[in-house]
Amino acid sequence: MKENFFRSMTWLHTWVGLLVCWLLFLIFFAGTISFFKDEITYWFEPETHTVTHQDNRLAKQRQQINYAVEQLQNKAADSSSWRIYLPEPRNPLYTYSYAEPKQSGQRRAKFTETYLDPTTNEQIAPPRETKGGYFFYRLHFDLHYIDVRTARWLVCLASLFMLIALITGVVIHKRIFKDMFSFRKNKGSRSWLDAHNVSSVLALPFHIMITYTGLITLIFMVFPYPAQTVYEKGLQQMFNEASPIRARVESSDVPAPLVSMNTILDQVYTKSPDADIGFFFIRDANKESSRVSVYLNTGKEVVDNGAAFLFSGSTGELLAEQGKDWSASARFYDSMTALHAGRLASPLLRWLYFLCGIAGCAMIATGCIMWAKRLRERLKPQQQAGVGLKLVETLNLATLMGLPFATASFFIANRLLPLEMVARADKEILVFFLAWLAMTVLAIISSSKRQWQLAAWLNALVCFAVPLVNAMTTEGNWISYLLTQKWTLFCVDFGFIIAGSLFILQGKKLRTASKKVSTRRFQKPKDLKEQQG
Amino acid sequence: MHSQSIDAVPSQRPKNVFKKRSVSISYRISVFFRFVAAIFGGYVFTSVLISLLAILLPLNQLDSVLLTTTLSVFFYSCVFIWVFAVKSLKRVWITILLTTGVQFVILSLIKGWL
Repeated sequence: MKENFFRSMTWLHTWVGLLVCWLLFLIFFAGTISFFKDEITYWFEPETHTVTHQDNRLAKQRQQINYAVEQLQNKAADSSSWRIYLPEPRNPLYTYSYAEPKQSGQRRAKFTETYLDPTTNEQIAPPRETKGGYFFYRLHFDLHYIDVRTARWLVCLASLFMLIALITGVVIHKRIFKDMFSFRKNKGSRSWLDAHNVSSVLALPFHIMITYTGLITLIFMVFPYPAQTVYEKGLQQMFNEASPIRARVESSDVPAPLVSMNTILDQVYTKSPDADIGFFFIRDANKESSRVSVYLNTGKEVVDNGAAFLFSGSTGELLAEQGKDWSASARFYDSMTALHAGRLASPLLRWLYFLCGIAGCAMIATGCIMWAKRLRERLKPQQQAGVGLKLVETLNLATLMGLPFATASFFIANRLLPLEMVARADKEILVFFLAWLAMTVLAIISSSKRQWQLAAWLNALVCFAVPLVNAMTTEGNWISYLLTQKWTLFCVDFGFIIAGSLFILQGKKLRTASKKVSTRRFQKPKDLKEQQG
Repeated sequence: MHSQSIDAVPSQRPKNVFKKRSVSISYRISVFFRFVAAIFGGYVFTSVLISLLAILLPLNQLDSVLLTTTLSVFFYSCVFIWVFAVKSLKRVWITILLTTGVQFVILSLIKGWL
């Protein structure tokens, strides 16, 4: 579209990047946090912090399933759905739940959950009502307060633009290797360019992988056409063929006693002797149409839909099995989803995922700051900034500083909102968005360097407030976590201390920078020459 | 971004930018239609291409659907970039419409839609 290919790609990189960079920052930010979704949810439920990981987890699974089924028989024999979640390495809790009868107008039945201590099988008090890490997980692709389908299309479009920006970014980067090692400090927009390059190039394989696989997780919404062309009944028929264990049967009213769970478990352990069971679902227990599905944990395998079995609950017969012999195409597709979600990651790899995610956030942030800086630098002394530039600057401040601010506020809200509050989980989320709104108002008032500095101080304040508020409202604090080796809780608290320190550094840096600008005005000619040379 | 060109000609760059900023209406319209071609044209082209491939590939039903759908993003981004790489907008539109049309006719003949 321009004079040559290189120019066209440069133009494309700038514009596809700029058009969606704020939405992308939100997606990357929420996604990065979601790598620690389970850990964050654990932090958000201090009532469960007394529970410790049990020894020989696998050996106890049979007994735990039997116990939960026995309890569910007593409590909710008529319920349409029972779910048992066994303790996992990342989550020590052992939970069972059953569906309440559906109210009219409800799309999904509400589940009543019971939390158990895995070592003693004793019931523990249900934790406070909260979404925890799950909020960030949904925010990552469903956004919030808007229709889920619209949100997912928006997220897909933004991801496509991201992929285009990544590819064109590589194309226009002639000195990709050399620039990896160069950082020119205090050189205005050139420093931002170097930061943009470093954060992009260092984690480039991750960026491309996570963007492509992210699109793949929603691909059947975007491109249902091959399935619709090949299969007569479209997507549903394909999904049924792909995972036969999800096949639904009509609920019958004919009562039939539930077989002993041992009949079912014996078959599972014969098929897979070292099975690590993750969930155990029973539909229509005590009816003829009863179905038991057993899902095994995927562990460190690059697999998303792991091994699973479907049994008839009334006869104990094995009806379907998943994950036995995958074809190459099925593996190709499935491994992409697995790579994106990163459930396979052991602690160290998970941190690497997290750090690469942060690099992605930095790449997007430096990109949109650089655009604004460039235009500012090109303004003549008396020239006023245009509407476009002002809009970009406001959005930059509102998004880049607003999201960390909102996140820390969300963590604080979890500890400070009264426990008996109605719709408490939604109120926590409301705090998140109100905090973001506050930062946006701040950005609309002005997006000068001074305002950035103010935002940095505010961010540092809320970040340090998180471990402080936690220490005051719960039993533990980050030092006691360190002493009792509760690493998950320690890392959350310590993460906020690190984030707070970084914001202080940013605030200080901005202060010296704005001083420099004011002194520069008096000794203009010489200084400017130095800068250009 | 404009990293390399800035290194080469630092003093001339700003002037060019201001000239470009007062862009004509026709330029804006052409940019708009290029984005339409990339987003919607690319989408329709990819949809037809992968549907056709899903039928033609010598694999079983499930495998061909999974494989072509997984590759869809790759095709889509290639078309997207190509739309911006070609100089003439007319050529972009003609190529997209022709290739999509031909593929659609083949697909319809195989499926017996026509």
